[in-house]
Amino acid sequence: MSNAYNKNTITEDGQLLLKKAEKDQIETVWDRFENQLPQCGYCEMGLSCRVCMMGPCRIDPFEEGPQRGVCGADADIIVARNLGRMIAAGAAAHSDHGRDLVEVLAKIAQGLAPGYGIKDIKKLKRLAAEYGLEIDGKEALEIAGELADAMQEDFGCRKKELTLVRRAPSKRRELWERAGITPRGIDRETSEMMHRTHMGVDNGWQSLLLHGLRNALSDGWGGSMIATEVSDILFGTPKPTHNTVNVGVLKEDQVNIVVHGHNPVVSEMILQACQSSEMIGLAKDKGANGINLTGLCCTGNELLMRHGIPMAGNHLMTELVISTGAVEMMLVDYQCIMPSLGAVAACYHTRMISTSDKARFPGMEHREFHPDNAAEMALDLVKEAIENFEQRGEVYIPVEPVASIGGFSVETIIDAMGGTPQPLIEAIKAGKIRGAAGIVGCNNPKIKHDYGHVTLTKRLIENDILVVDTGCAAIANAKAGFKTAESVKFAGDGLKEVCGSLGIPPVLHMGSCVDNVRILVLAAALADALNTDISDLPLAGAAPEWYSEKAVSIGAYFVASGVYTVLGPMPPITGSMNVVKLLTKGLNDVIGASFAVEPDPEKASVLIRRHIEEKREKLGLSFLEV
Amino acid sequence: MKKVVVHPERCVGCMQCMIACATVHSQAKELPAAALEKPLPKPRIHVGVGMYNEGFPNRCRHCDPAPCIAACLPGAIFRDLETESVLIDPYKCINCASCAMACPFGVIRYNEDLLAPSGQTVAVKCDNCLPRLKQGLIPACAEACKSGALTFEESAKALKRKTDEVARSISAKAESSDLFPGFALLNAVKSVQAGIRNA
Repeated sequence: MSNAYNKNTITEDGQLLLKKAEKDQIETVWDRFENQLPQCGYCEMGLSCRVCMMGPCRIDPFEEGPQRGVCGADADIIVARNLGRMIAAGAAAHSDHGRDLVEVLAKIAQGLAPGYGIKDIKKLKRLAAEYGLEIDGKEALEIAGELADAMQEDFGCRKKELTLVRRAPSKRRELWERAGITPRGIDRETSEMMHRTHMGVDNGWQSLLLHGLRNALSDGWGGSMIATEVSDILFGTPKPTHNTVNVGVLKEDQVNIVVHGHNPVVSEMILQACQSSEMIGLAKDKGANGINLTGLCCTGNELLMRHGIPMAGNHLMTELVISTGAVEMMLVDYQCIMPSLGAVAACYHTRMISTSDKARFPGMEHREFHPDNAAEMALDLVKEAIENFEQRGEVYIPVEPVASIGGFSVETIIDAMGGTPQPLIEAIKAGKIRGAAGIVGCNNPKIKHDYGHVTLTKRLIENDILVVDTGCAAIANAKAGFKTAESVKFAGDGLKEVCGSLGIPPVLHMGSCVDNVRILVLAAALADALNTDISDLPLAGAAPEWYSEKAVSIGAYFVASGVYTVLGPMPPITGSMNVVKLLTKGLNDVIGASFAVEPDPEKASVLIRRHIEEKREKLGLSFLEV
Repeated sequence: MKKVVVHPERCVGCMQCMIACATVHSQAKELPAAALEKPLPKPRIHVGVGMYNEGFPNRCRHCDPAPCIAACLPGAIFRDLETESVLIDPYKCINCASCAMACPFGVIRYNEDLLAPSGQTVAVKCDNCLPRLKQGLIPACAEACKSGALTFEESAKALKRKTDEVARSISAKAESSDLFPGFALLNAVKSVQAGIRNA
């Protein structure tokens, strides 16, 4: 792997730590990726089927070998079934995360979650009203209990449609009705996808893909939306706050605790414990200058958004952060946590703790968090982290952190504009802002780390397209320095003027990956203000470095919500040109938006600019030839 | 000289060698573009099915003397002396199938090919990936094989390894130790299933 540092990542901290990892003989995700090459062509094309045990089967794309699975499924059916199951897994992951938050809300109401509370009562009441609950004269805890019950009903299916679907513009909802893809129950759509893809059920590749959209919508306007809203109720709706990013946020003279994963249920309790004066005193007794809590990936984003907690890195940095030797303890919950982390930590003094009853990892100590024991457990673990400070060996923190601003919830974006989306609409109408793009998703060793996110974002903002971002993309852009008030220097003249006058960066950090629903809510607000559909707006989405099943679900609910979405890596669909054509063209006739795939972010930026200018032309606004 | 050596006992039947072979013999040299080409590139290595439905990767041995050369009436099949490879000149091939009848391994196919006159079916078989060797790469099938069923090495070294394996297996304290217990279990199950089916 020697001298591959620049090939693997554009980040300085990443390159320097890769060099250190090689010296320390740490195997990284890039080494394992090299070892997997060439990857299985059948699987890459979606042509292998492991659904039943008459198989496994594969279809030979060169037409010499088998053209049908044992059951008789052809390439179209197999590709559609595989993609459907990816969406189901992604929607299940987001939605189960949402369910865990609703359970905490319910436990709070029952008085069984010491340490947790209701931070945003206004939002609690607003949500309760949306769910049709009577709130007059009721205490917050009573409302919380009733809201938790009502939300839990959205998971099962007792109704024609999910409650929060009503947030979508009416034209969009009519279109979903016509296409038969209005999501009914969060668990129902995932369950139905697993049913349909069982051998001998849905063998229409088109109907499978349509159900895929419905399943994704049950995530976007259901599970993920509940996750974000309940997180805001429990821990506060984010407001713009300053933070710092990259591996330089680790501190040589302090106890470094890193939280990694997705759900704020654990990380918020760790934060509270780190702030206790007893713990800070203990750290000082042990010779440390304090406790430094930092985040990785989306649980880090949750803390960054609400509290300005520093962010150590995104997905592909998680092994390298440990290789600094500066981390006393890493606590993980679930999703995107590489099972290799325990082995990396074994080379240093770092203690690895798994916390979720549904996620275990080799080389980690399992200390399960539940709403009733979380506050106490967090204190115990922080204490143990402090005690581990003395075991530290050599430390290597190679860079200084970069400043950034996070915390742009829809509420604060609208507030920043004086309580209405009108200023943004006026700026778009005037052409100062051409449109907006959501850049979201993961890292993937198939794409040079952060190159996809940063290059695409740079090209869009310099062409006056406002960028909102989440997840690992948001961390990449923060590390690249796109998120301070001064970052308007990277923007085109029009965007510079608008963001400059509002005092906001040209790239707005909207949160974790479940927080992609904030982008949906913002798009719906813009569409409503113009009395039109989301698909008519000059908007686009992009996932330049996606890898996970969750990203497939996000991409599908973006497109199903009317947002043209450009993927970096190719999904496993090339075994069926019918499926490729439907997803990249045919969907336009069904839902007014489609996917595109373009791994080169320079070319992806042209696709997005062209799309935005075409939408402007259709709206009768000034437009450019791209 | 290094050669592709076949170790059939390690084949998992994934057919990755076939897909890799067809891909490098395409114009684009990459998936999925290769699969959209006309003529469709075809593999020159073929995974056959054994008695117990296990895979068997089968490719040209570049025999010497080669029965196919002796059988080829128009003289289209010849030996490249520098690389000891048996090659076919697609412009001389008359598609008579004599070579296939003579081939003891059944590894010659007839189809249209990128390097043949357009629209003409010709004899096609392994070319030892000579263009890849010139670029310092190893043959595509050996590169693709993740289970060690196809290796690119000196045949003397491979034979020595096999000799040692046999020697160890008859040592006084030798235990039957499968290299891949999961794979061995799978094969055991498969042989039982095939036994039932063939009974």
